[in-house]
Amino acid sequence: MAAKKLNIKDKYRLLTRDLDWEFSYQDRKQAFPFEEFEGIKITDWSQWEDPFRLTMDAYWKYQAEKERKLYAIFDAFAQNNGQLNISDPRYVNALKIFLTGVSPLEYQAFQGFAHTGRQFSGVGARVACQMQAIDELRHVQTQIHAMSHYNKFFDGLQDWSHMHDRVWYLSVPKSFFNDARAAGPFEFMVAIGFSFEYVLTNLLFVPFMSGAAYNGDMATVTFGFSAQSDEARHMTLGLEVIKFLLEQHEDNIPIVQKWIDKWFWRGTRLLTIVAMMMDYMLPNKVMSWKEAWEVYFEEAGGALFKDLARYGIRMPKYADLIEQEKEHISHQAWWTFYTHGHAAGFHTWIPTDEELDWLSEKYPHTFDQYYRPRWELAKAMEAKGERFYTKALPQLCTTCQIPMLFTEMDDPTQIAYRESLYQGERYHFCSDGCKDIFDEEPEKYIHSWLPVHQIFQGQCGGPEVEDILRDYYRMNVGADNLDMKGSPDEARWKLWKGVA
Amino acid sequence: MSYEVRVEPTGDLIQVDEGQTILDAALRQGVWLPFACGHGTCATCKVQVLEGDVDVGAASPFALMDMERDEGKVLACCAIPESDLVIEADIDVDADFQGYPVQDFLATVTEIRTLSPRIKGIYFQLNQAMDFQAGQYVNLQLPGITGTRAFSIANPPSDNQKLELHVSLVPEGAGTTWLHEHLQVGDVLPISGPYGQFFVRKSDPQDVIFIAGGSGLSSPQSMILDLLQAGDTRQIYLFQGARHLAELYQREFLQALADQYPNFHYIPALNEPLEEDHWEGFKGFVHEAAQDYFAHQFSGHKAYLCGPPVMIDAAITALMQGRLFERDIHMERFVTAADGAQTGTRSALFKRI
Repeated sequence: MAAKKLNIKDKYRLLTRDLDWEFSYQDRKQAFPFEEFEGIKITDWSQWEDPFRLTMDAYWKYQAEKERKLYAIFDAFAQNNGQLNISDPRYVNALKIFLTGVSPLEYQAFQGFAHTGRQFSGVGARVACQMQAIDELRHVQTQIHAMSHYNKFFDGLQDWSHMHDRVWYLSVPKSFFNDARAAGPFEFMVAIGFSFEYVLTNLLFVPFMSGAAYNGDMATVTFGFSAQSDEARHMTLGLEVIKFLLEQHEDNIPIVQKWIDKWFWRGTRLLTIVAMMMDYMLPNKVMSWKEAWEVYFEEAGGALFKDLARYGIRMPKYADLIEQEKEHISHQAWWTFYTHGHAAGFHTWIPTDEELDWLSEKYPHTFDQYYRPRWELAKAMEAKGERFYTKALPQLCTTCQIPMLFTEMDDPTQIAYRESLYQGERYHFCSDGCKDIFDEEPEKYIHSWLPVHQIFQGQCGGPEVEDILRDYYRMNVGADNLDMKGSPDEARWKLWKGVA
Repeated sequence: MSYEVRVEPTGDLIQVDEGQTILDAALRQGVWLPFACGHGTCATCKVQVLEGDVDVGAASPFALMDMERDEGKVLACCAIPESDLVIEADIDVDADFQGYPVQDFLATVTEIRTLSPRIKGIYFQLNQAMDFQAGQYVNLQLPGITGTRAFSIANPPSDNQKLELHVSLVPEGAGTTWLHEHLQVGDVLPISGPYGQFFVRKSDPQDVIFIAGGSGLSSPQSMILDLLQAGDTRQIYLFQGARHLAELYQREFLQALADQYPNFHYIPALNEPLEEDHWEGFKGFVHEAAQDYFAHQFSGHKAYLCGPPVMIDAAITALMQGRLFERDIHMERFVTAADGAQTGTRSALFKRI
């Protein structure tokens, strides 16, 4: 046999092995002060297997070509007035949520991976985090560019970064990432690298990107393809992290299990907004939230947890409860936004009769019994000129910061309330999952910046809700918010399309 | 019409049907290539074409760049061969892999021995010596039966003019039924080999554990004889599982070997011993015998598993819960007609398991 060729792994090792520093006059432990305080035991960083083998030189070449192709399509989209080819102007409201709620998370992911990478004394993990950090920065930039064209024609997209920091419902995604970034480096990797980027990513990206494809939004679809070629790298990093932690020391297993329980619960709570988008906001539907959950979590995640069981890891806590919740959460969330539609930075609406029938068909166990009657009532009120907006501000869960809108699963007419007493103060939660997370680290969550509390404490201007929306959130009141019916978005669309 | 694709650096050969993707053919033929999305958008399965012509298929322009297309890179999940190919994939070649070339042989049956009620030992004389590594397998062509049948070599490589195969009768299995019922001493069969990535990682000095079930004793028998003949001094443990005593084949032979070599330890296990067996050894499944013997602690070993899928699956779980992981677990699954198609979604957590 001829002399063996070096395989790609060996080539990469020879190319990169001297990239680490020798610590000749400093204590290595002091250079990486966060590596031990979470209780994780790393016995041998050399066991880390680089999940992808890419040199910086090749990385820049790839990314540059992706950018060239992506921006060529953005240009073509803009020059062809691509906004006129979407299925229905209601679709753009999904983009408003994406730009204000999700794109800033890409930026937080950039910050998180840059910080976390610095904390690992293993050079392989450090380089992998650095590359992912740069990817995330590219994602936020390209998302902004993909959607900037819509900002010229639709309301609600003009001040997404400011809104992300202040608007009540956007504190849900913001605090999710803040929580992960405020954790130690290994928890961040399990939270974002594994639970979010690996286990739940398909439930975030596939619905948004297929939703874009089904609704004629070529710019966002193309962004999706461009990002997905990076996501595969992120997924392999998430997998390598979990294997590495579980194999390094058996004492890591209960710690990792606790983080999986926490971040799986936090992640699924966050995905409520995707559930609502899939079932209510996409004019052309891809699949129901329930179906997406079954395909991407119950099947794919089930196979993963079957393999993880070999390490002694079990299914995330409350996975059985979430299996029941898939029948309810999209309906409960959209109803909440519909009734708070005057305070949202996007438009809300009553589903059309055709859409109500679709929901009845997709949710045969719950929709007709619990949710359709509400929409029939809303329709009757709207017909009488009494479109319903609630006057109250919602109570928020201290952990996930979602309004208390979820019900008990054995009684879908009863809102679920949980509470904990800590140092004489009472804290409220939407679920046992969120209460557990608080009870584990109360000192962390008593600092939560809860938007409704802040409003009542006078931190957000006011005194009226409209003052807060206009001055503190910088919404264009009367244009960004309220019902789709009668909105400037709708009026402009009719004008462009020549509809009366 | 199909094309032959050689996968470097391991040299594995796969047959790709007209219109089939390289990845699909590779995975179906037990050759692992890195992959993730399976539909041309993630680029995890990117490979370099070294020789031959390929249609790149529906690879996304963001996953397979123009410059890469010019360099002859393709995504295995979309690429369809238009000729025989040589490709290079991002897979590890084992330092202990000898890479003996696959050749064709004529094998004359010299003896057929009943080893157990379900297993026959079939002994061949080859028309020329075959270089192979202990643990590898050969493909047999049987008259009137489409496709080839794979069997692990049970004799050590020191005896390379001969071939010893252990053939378990598979219910509804056309190949094994023919071998059990029609094969005669003196028959000549065309065979090819050696194949496979199942061999002892001799460069790794750790002690070795073999776990065998069904007719899965063949590879371990060859590997153990090879080690012992070479004077290897590491500790070698063989756990052999069977239902009851009559199916525990080669027992006397292995026990004699254990008496002869102090570093070889033979631990048979029966999960349903009969009363007349008067069994005093381990009662239970073979992976439980290993857990019992090592007190659920396996780290510091190399493990080689050989047998039916359910046994392999249980053994992997036992080993991993005993802190032995993928890099130290090697296996040969005996998938037969009786096991049915592999169903269910597979996670990307493990490469070879």
